[in-house]
Amino acid sequence: MNINQSPKIVPISSGHLTEVQFGELLDGTKDNVVNKTDRALSPAEEHLLTCAQCATELATLREALVLFREVSTAYAESELRNIPRVELPARRARMFTLRPAYFAAAAALLLASFIPIQMLHQRAQKAAQQAASATAATNFERYASESNEALLDDVNNAASASVPDSMQALADPMGTNDLSVQKSNQRKD
Amino acid sequence: MATENISTFPNGLAIDMEERANPLEDLDTVVALYQPRVFRFLLANLRDRDAAETLTQETFLRAWTARDSFREDCAVGTWLIRIALNLARDHTRTGRFRFWKNAAVHSVDAADVASFVPSSEVSSESRLIAQQQVAAIWQTVAGLSQRQRTIFLLRFLEEMDIPEIAATTGLPLGTVKSHLYRALNVVRAHHLNQAKEQK
Repeated sequence: MNINQSPKIVPISSGHLTEVQFGELLDGTKDNVVNKTDRALSPAEEHLLTCAQCATELATLREALVLFREVSTAYAESELRNIPRVELPARRARMFTLRPAYFAAAAALLLASFIPIQMLHQRAQKAAQQAASATAATNFERYASESNEALLDDVNNAASASVPDSMQALADPMGTNDLSVQKSNQRKD
Repeated sequence: MATENISTFPNGLAIDMEERANPLEDLDTVVALYQPRVFRFLLANLRDRDAAETLTQETFLRAWTARDSFREDCAVGTWLIRIALNLARDHTRTGRFRFWKNAAVHSVDAADVASFVPSSEVSSESRLIAQQQVAAIWQTVAGLSQRQRTIFLLRFLEEMDIPEIAATTGLPLGTVKSHLYRALNVVRAHHLNQAKEQK
């Protein structure tokens, strides 16, 4: 299979690198780095020496991966410039630990604003009560004085009323009535 | 190395005399050093600017919260990428991510990325080819499965070696290799296809 005709990966059985061999070479970890002085060449490395097609493909893909890293890094750095620096977790953590204190402060503030209102309300209530009691007292006094006057009038009326004859003696027990005294004197004579 | 910091007392008790300072305590330095790297990985993985920004913030917050659990069995950068990867996984599982992915409102355009090809290319034609190559790889990587994409990016963007990727992802070495080679195979196929079209 011609490698230029299809994007499918050509197995080594057809004369080219396998997926794993290609991956190992591309991976480029320390064990896979071609170092002719330290060790013998692997079959994949030997193949690269004889197959220009695989060698070119490996080289271009390796370059593309390096470029991918460089470009991604540059892009991320440019995006990072528009982003604020990471907020210090220490400060955030302190904020979290202080959260109960914030609640307490808010509660105190609420209480502080509520107490004067309550006091004002109580004062107004007290004033209203005082006014009401004062009005009641005035009314009572007026009523009391009016009732006293009425009672006195009744007494006066009763006192000034004419005494019946049968009750005349009782009406003047000291004998101040001349008529009765005269009558008794005449009877003695 | 470690023996320099160890003093043996008469009773035979060895005590580490110098308490090694946790590098995560100096958060300003950690952020300055690793924020670009974490953001780059998340941006390439999620292809969503806003999500990458949010999760970068979240990565450092989590790292700060869990700094006592950092045992220096790996590099700080690797540890941060591991946190970022877990956050990205959680994020991609949410319905909101799927919705915005479909809407493609915040998604990164491959052409935008490709426009950052350095101008040092010898000719405008070769620069254009380079841009097309980068855009093609970006698009191909976007089409990979979540696991293949992650491993590919850890290898070729973050330049981690296979054992480091295995430690970061929690996958066996063999699994990492097979996913990486499959991902490379897909990228290679698209690359060849593009080369054919250019001819």
